[in-house]
Amino acid sequence: MSSPTSATAVMVPRRRRRARRLRAALPFLGPALVAYVVFVLYPMVESIRLSFFEWSGFVGAEQTFVGMRNYVRLFTQDTVFWTALGNSVIWVALSLAVPMLLSLAFAVALDRKLPGRALFRTVFYVPGVLATIAVANIWRWIYNPRYGVSESLAQTLGLEWLQGIQWLGDADIALYAIFGAFVWQAVGTNMVLFLAGLQSVPPELKEAAALDGAGAWQRFRNVTLPSLRPTMVVVVVLTFIGSIKVFDLIVGMTGGGPAQQTQVLALWSYQLSFANNQYGMGNAVATVLLILVIAVVVPYMLWTARREQS
Amino acid sequence: MTQSVAGSRAGVTPTARTGRRHPDRPHTVVRWRSVLLWLVVLATAVLWMLPLAFALLTSVKSEADILGTSLFTLPTSLDWENYVEAIQTGNLLQAARNSLMIALIKVPAGLLISAAAAFALARIRFRYSGIVLAVIAFGAMVPVQVAIAPLFQVMLALDLLNNPLALVLPYIGFGLPYQVFILYGFFRQIPAELDESAMLDGAPNRRLFFQIILPLSKPALAALFILDFVATWNEFGIALVLLQRQESWTIPLAVQGFQSKFTTSYGPINAFTLMSVIPVLVIYLMFQRYFVQGAFAGAVKG
Amino acid sequence: MRRTTSKTLAISVSAAALLAATLTACGSGGSTDEGVTLTYWRLAETNEATGAAFEQIVADFEADHPDIQIQVEERSTDGHKEALRTALGTSGAPDIYWSWAGPGIGGEFVNNGGSLDLTEYYEEYDWESRFNDVSMASITQYGGYHGIPSGFSGAGIYYNKDLFAQAGIAEPPTTYEELVAAADKLSAAGIDAIEFGGTVNWHLMRLLDNILETQCGSEVFDALVRNEASWGSETCVDDSFAEFATWTQEYLIPDWASLDDAQANQLLFSGQAAMVIEGSWFPQVIQNNDADPDAFGVFPFPTGTNRLYGDTSNNYVSPTTEHPDEAAMFLDHLTSTESQTALTEASGARSVNVDVVSDGASRSSLDAAWDEIFDESEGLYAFNDQNLPLAQTTEYWRILNAVASGDIAPDEAGSQFQAFIDQQS
Repeated sequence: MSSPTSATAVMVPRRRRRARRLRAALPFLGPALVAYVVFVLYPMVESIRLSFFEWSGFVGAEQTFVGMRNYVRLFTQDTVFWTALGNSVIWVALSLAVPMLLSLAFAVALDRKLPGRALFRTVFYVPGVLATIAVANIWRWIYNPRYGVSESLAQTLGLEWLQGIQWLGDADIALYAIFGAFVWQAVGTNMVLFLAGLQSVPPELKEAAALDGAGAWQRFRNVTLPSLRPTMVVVVVLTFIGSIKVFDLIVGMTGGGPAQQTQVLALWSYQLSFANNQYGMGNAVATVLLILVIAVVVPYMLWTARREQS
Repeated sequence: MTQSVAGSRAGVTPTARTGRRHPDRPHTVVRWRSVLLWLVVLATAVLWMLPLAFALLTSVKSEADILGTSLFTLPTSLDWENYVEAIQTGNLLQAARNSLMIALIKVPAGLLISAAAAFALARIRFRYSGIVLAVIAFGAMVPVQVAIAPLFQVMLALDLLNNPLALVLPYIGFGLPYQVFILYGFFRQIPAELDESAMLDGAPNRRLFFQIILPLSKPALAALFILDFVATWNEFGIALVLLQRQESWTIPLAVQGFQSKFTTSYGPINAFTLMSVIPVLVIYLMFQRYFVQGAFAGAVKG
Repeated sequence: MRRTTSKTLAISVSAAALLAATLTACGSGGSTDEGVTLTYWRLAETNEATGAAFEQIVADFEADHPDIQIQVEERSTDGHKEALRTALGTSGAPDIYWSWAGPGIGGEFVNNGGSLDLTEYYEEYDWESRFNDVSMASITQYGGYHGIPSGFSGAGIYYNKDLFAQAGIAEPPTTYEELVAAADKLSAAGIDAIEFGGTVNWHLMRLLDNILETQCGSEVFDALVRNEASWGSETCVDDSFAEFATWTQEYLIPDWASLDDAQANQLLFSGQAAMVIEGSWFPQVIQNNDADPDAFGVFPFPTGTNRLYGDTSNNYVSPTTEHPDEAAMFLDHLTSTESQTALTEASGARSVNVDVVSDGASRSSLDAAWDEIFDESEGLYAFNDQNLPLAQTTEYWRILNAVASGDIAPDEAGSQFQAFIDQQS
């Protein structure tokens, strides 16, 4: 890192140099810090603070301090919280398994010179470019119990077992039905990330392995996969963060129903605050969500960083 | 570019690099495998397009067709009325104007602010730059819903509710972490020797930033620009809470509002949804390579 | 270096200031130099004729008061509720808004400072003598005078006359047992006896509310929703949930959980389901959907208590409004005999204005039937999502949906709900 011309550097004391750097950095850093602190950090801290209060959210209303009561209530008495938490966990687990594997498979398939490759890549990527709320509406129509895909298939092909399936109304399958729409959206974006990673795998390594008699699968496992590790880390972190935040899709497809069975943490937090006028409880759920994210991402990143070093 | 060792290159004279082909791979089996793979990919791609295809099909059907026939049947006549109805009753154009205004201001401004911050952290190393970077990167993990309720109160206190332009501020805030992180990595890769030459000429930081660093970062900036434009256009969670008045709605809000108001108008709903995604589709088709570049920036360490 | 750094700083600061100034200037404003703009939020009007009549009333007012403009915003039921909850008390609040009057919705707004006390205007315009007793009761129930009556409606069972005939039901049921028997006959004839939409919660809720009134009687019902009686210990509550479970599992359309009210009602219009509990506003909805109102009949749910199931709705003025006088002027015009007559003629619904007589013009047999129902009933009990506080309503909906899909046993529902109520206080 260069510092001001060496001649002056010797003469100016270190502290003054640091202060000068700080002052020089401020105009560049300033706007970002202001935006970040006012609109991200402060609300986050405030959210944690509000979780210890009881408040209706109306401007004139009083904020009553209740200590840990919101959390106690949340964990012991809230009838929806555990469902929401469970669903969030299921969602994350499924997101790390299904779209990841599919997108890796697609990336490997498209990594070779197939005719129409660019077109295929577009087809898979486009759903990820659409607004999630638009995707929700498109799939809601597909899942329509009277006029949607399964019903139409049942009618045209005479498949009786497909009739009357409540994709979004049956509590047992609704969450997974919504997940289907999520896969449709997520595979493309992850696929492109993997494609980028695959293209950085040194071809010499693969050819050397081929010369040594390794089959396609062995080459994949021993050469490609390890080289994909940095990409994997990125994909895993992004997938985790994206999936635990899921909101738009649930709002657009079921609103949390039926009977709150497709609730997730982000949506339950929103509903508690804005639909039930219980800002304290809503922010308690939000804080749980935040802690969950930190508790998973930070150790994971530390672990991968340590692994990289060794 | 990766070279496929097997596959479509079978039967061609060996490449100069390796000097010889793999000896045990018969031509016909290899051909078969590629064709099969291609067919599988094709079938999957067709399946992948079906949701949009169904939406399109429904959007041009009359109500009688939709309710009377199955999803797969072609319409008896192309009914473009659905689109007209959607535009007229759905305030689509007004929402589009709001979304466009927000995106045109937020994306360039946000990118500039992020680049400036990344520059300060990457180049003007000051005492706490490591901590600041960590604090900013931390924001990438924060789901919007964690801050949404207090954010509403902040905007309320600033009297900026129901003002589409005001969305720009939290959007910039939440867009910073990802952009700063990517640009930080990018700037660090720019050789320090270039810095020194600028310094020796007596150029202050500002000139270094605008005249050397930024121009060199065009690929990363372009990719981030496009990605951010699309993300801003599609944003739903923050807009939902901060924009209550219909006239201030952005496209995603308008789509959801239309759907909840006219739940049985399946034709217009699909028409409206399709119209709402056209701008983003156009942008993607025009600037495809920037999306891929963005992936490069993110996926490969750097 | 120092000079240019502070120059950069100066530029950044002024740019930020400029941005801030632009933003506030572009914010929404309530008045211009030329006049006053009043914002009025209400539900989306489904009846074209009523919509046109309303627009005419607004136009007439604007013509009489050239310096006042009324800006109307319409939303769906849930969208309207959410918008109000987030906007009231803030600068984004409308000047006037329509709302249900019950403690669960309107009451929340009033108790949280979202409504302006209009006592002085009631005196000035002598409004009290203009409106009927039921409506006035909803205005004064929170102390002072909050809101101006907008409407009141009843809700009962609409049925498809043809389907009833097909199933061999000669006359509309007058007791609960007869109602169940009718549902049995419909099922036997292969017809879905009743339809409701499950995704909007408050639609299916109507069935439970009425069964509750039937099994518990008026006094216990009132005590329950006021949290003066326990949902866990009253046996009629368990009976109600058991009856409700029977209805949802045997007589209700199978895909209720995937449909909203509009989609479910489509089944009624197309003759695929026989009954639904809907309000006195429903005849217009039937017409809007290209169905013939005369093909349907209506009868009150046979609760045996003679109370009318329905609600009152009022137009409230926000305390943050900058133009309360103009708002009062507009509301006075809106509830005048002239305006109300026009609205009643278009919608067929009874007016809150006692001087307005609904005549025969656009009325269907259904509207006449409603007249009879209104005349013959005594007292009103409101939809439970208006009786219960918000958090309880959310839980009430969760429980009834779970009972309907069989996930919660009917005899556990009451105690679960009571447990929730207990921990809320």
